Amino acid sequence: MISHSRANRPIVDPASVKIIGLGGAGANLLEQVALDGMDAAGLLLLNADARVLGACVVPEKIQLGESLLKGLGAGGDPELGEKALLEAEPALRRSIEGHEVVFICVGLGGGTGSGAAPAFARIAREAGAFVVVIATMPFAFEGKRRRDQADDALAKLSAHASALITFDNNRMGETVLAKQGAHDAFAATDQLIGESIRAITRIVTRPGLIHLGLDDLISALGDTASPCLFGSGIADGKDRSSVALRKAIASPLLDQGLLKEAQTVLVHACGGEDLTLLEIELLMQGLQKFVPEDAHLLFGAAIDPSLGSALSLTIISSLPDGSFLPTARELPAARELPVEKTFSEPAAKPPAQPEEAPLFAATPSIEKKAPESEIFPAPSSPAADVAEPSGFELFEPAPTTAQQTEAPPAPEPEPAAPPKRAKKPSDAEPDPQKVKLSVKATGTQSELSLDSVPRGRFEGENPNVFEGEDLDLPPFLRKKK
Amino acid sequence: MARRSKIHVGIEIGTSKTCLVVGEVKPDSAIKILGIGETKSAGVRKGEIFDYAQTRACLRDALAKAEDAADVEIGSVYLAVTGSHIQGVNHRGTYRLPDGEPVVGPEHVEEARTIAREVHIPADHVYIHPIIRNYWLDGLEHSTSPVGLFGKTVEADFHVVHGIGTRIQNSIKLVREMPLEVDDIVFSPIATAQMALNREHRENGALVIDIGGGTTDYALYLGGVITASGCIPVGGDHVTNDIHLVTNLPFSKAEQLKVTEGDASGDPAKSVGTARLHDDRGFAEVEVSRAVLNETIRQRLEETLRLVLRQLPEGSIDAVGAGVFLTGGTSLMRGFDELAYQVFGRDIYRPEPPEISGIQASFRDPRYATAIGLIRYALIVEAERVSPPGFFGRIARMFWPFGN
Repeated sequence: MISHSRANRPIVDPASVKIIGLGGAGANLLEQVALDGMDAAGLLLLNADARVLGACVVPEKIQLGESLLKGLGAGGDPELGEKALLEAEPALRRSIEGHEVVFICVGLGGGTGSGAAPAFARIAREAGAFVVVIATMPFAFEGKRRRDQADDALAKLSAHASALITFDNNRMGETVLAKQGAHDAFAATDQLIGESIRAITRIVTRPGLIHLGLDDLISALGDTASPCLFGSGIADGKDRSSVALRKAIASPLLDQGLLKEAQTVLVHACGGEDLTLLEIELLMQGLQKFVPEDAHLLFGAAIDPSLGSALSLTIISSLPDGSFLPTARELPAARELPVEKTFSEPAAKPPAQPEEAPLFAATPSIEKKAPESEIFPAPSSPAADVAEPSGFELFEPAPTTAQQTEAPPAPEPEPAAPPKRAKKPSDAEPDPQKVKLSVKATGTQSELSLDSVPRGRFEGENPNVFEGEDLDLPPFLRKKK
Repeated sequence: MARRSKIHVGIEIGTSKTCLVVGEVKPDSAIKILGIGETKSAGVRKGEIFDYAQTRACLRDALAKAEDAADVEIGSVYLAVTGSHIQGVNHRGTYRLPDGEPVVGPEHVEEARTIAREVHIPADHVYIHPIIRNYWLDGLEHSTSPVGLFGKTVEADFHVVHGIGTRIQNSIKLVREMPLEVDDIVFSPIATAQMALNREHRENGALVIDIGGGTTDYALYLGGVITASGCIPVGGDHVTNDIHLVTNLPFSKAEQLKVTEGDASGDPAKSVGTARLHDDRGFAEVEVSRAVLNETIRQRLEETLRLVLRQLPEGSIDAVGAGVFLTGGTSLMRGFDELAYQVFGRDIYRPEPPEISGIQASFRDPRYATAIGLIRYALIVEAERVSPPGFFGRIARMFWPFGN
């Protein structure tokens, strides 16, 4: 029998992914990503405020507008933010050189974020990277002016970014219980966005049985101005497929049944070596109930031995159109603009366009965008591989913070895999708790890692967590530990 | 107005047992317990129903028994609810009188009450009780409504109990299916407190803790008004489960050991030697070291009491003058009073049911405290309801020559 290597697919090298935080909100997000651990991706913080730069744990930082702003922030003025960024342009180009995928995390509405993000997205595109912008829109209470600035920036971004994911803070606020403090609300938001960044990187960087690529991701994200829907769940045991699905559907951004409106849904299932076809079938059958019948389902599956007997499920989608964004309808026109050209508001609104089709059909017309296989050649730079383990150590979370562990899909250890790929599993193995998953920001508490302990008559129930302790376990045993 | 005896029925669907208490309230407000219907519960865990079919069967059985014992037909009931989703919070509503109105009018008080009741609760929660604690008029406390007094600012201080709406609805639905009408739902510890505490206890400050099969409910009264209430999802079931997990004995044996041999006092003298259980058929007897058994029980109960203590407002336990009143089945555990004393440092009592006649043996049992409390709660609610006679009542009184 001839063994066929399945791993030989055009995928992205994790080391060529760069995650960039821009502005104050970006710094918080990046910090969250850094703390959660991001295996090989490089992290870079851009900020005008020297204090923010100093306080952040991210190793690579570039100060914007060193002479223009003199270490202060942009003061809510997008123009200043843009000028500050352009001042640091050479350094930025050096930093993102050779990276295939660049994530730009930014909170729109302020000065640095709204001003610098579009300019930076352009620079990154010119450097040949696939640019995914993850933007949070301001709270309604932050006022109309910030909202307008954010909308403006978003319109510009949609011209420059390859993919745009937006999270509306108003919606995010709802994901946290009303009585919880503002701090928790922001932390939950950052966690959720961090998790979505990780999920996306995971999907595009790992080969799968049924592979999903950046193209699938783009169509799942739909209209670049539409709010992103994201959910993930992990489960173990007999009915793990249904439990994982339930958990994913219960994620804060999905739990209001918004998936019913989605046009395109990307589903990525990842299981240990015992993942069966039946389980995948059950999973998809279960999912059918939550999505419209005619929705375009993009399905991917991968085997990750490090998951053991667990099954993890990620759902990414977007609402049909920019339901919260008035300028959304203008965007198709904006998208035709070449990258180098700065954005100008279209004089008249073009008639409403079909939601999905024009959006990415238009993308190839952007000059810098080359066919995907060219942008992402099979990476084989040895330097990047060497860099990987050190990246691990830096961002590996402390075991105590890992409440639910979800290991990202590792490549299949196929014997015929090329040497580059064969090396990877050994890289992936030393960190069983690579990824912390705690998107369950709503009332129920996340599971403690006490699954091995028998629980008597409370077996199989949700843990009875009260003030951080699982009350179903005998104190007699708990205190001994 | 005509006064007749009135029958009230309290239902508690507990984790370990479902019980109905039928009480007769005499015209002089004395309560007589006519009968109790009790079944072992199934389908309830930690105070919340997880198997409706089973729970329905239990309730039906308990209802039949209660109707049999009391020899009345039950039409409507007061229902006690509990569960860790139910919370009590204090909230104060402030209303400033409009200019030119120096005297507090009823509408001003009503406005303050409305504001006070608007506690920020999670979207899926509903109010169970808004209980008025007291009024404040320009910073001075008033225990009754300040209508007619001079003042600028009226404040109403409420204790608002809320819980997840759908779960409460489901409990009500279950009872309606019997079919029974639900007069009112009551948060369990509040019902228990009606039975356990008299006015004096409440004035001096008292804490009622009802440790049942699946939950521990508590209510704290300070200065005559309720100050805190809540539920911790731990109860006697957990003790049994702990024994099962620690000693690897089957549940039935663990339960039996807990009831017959367990001791929570922490007294080393009680933890000497081994506890034995003899099989009915003389087969393998169970042997457990008393030190392990008692320590398992003690740590669980101590933790539970400390959780209650932590839930109370800071420093409020020092204001408790009357003491801590323990009820519920688990409070029958040997040495529990000593343990509670160590935790709270207050006098520990088992509540004495006041002025109730009927089947003595049953209402002395702390296991029925909540259901009997419901009857007293019903009495109080009923009294409030009839005290301001309606329009027709007033007219009737004009022609009624014998006073009321």
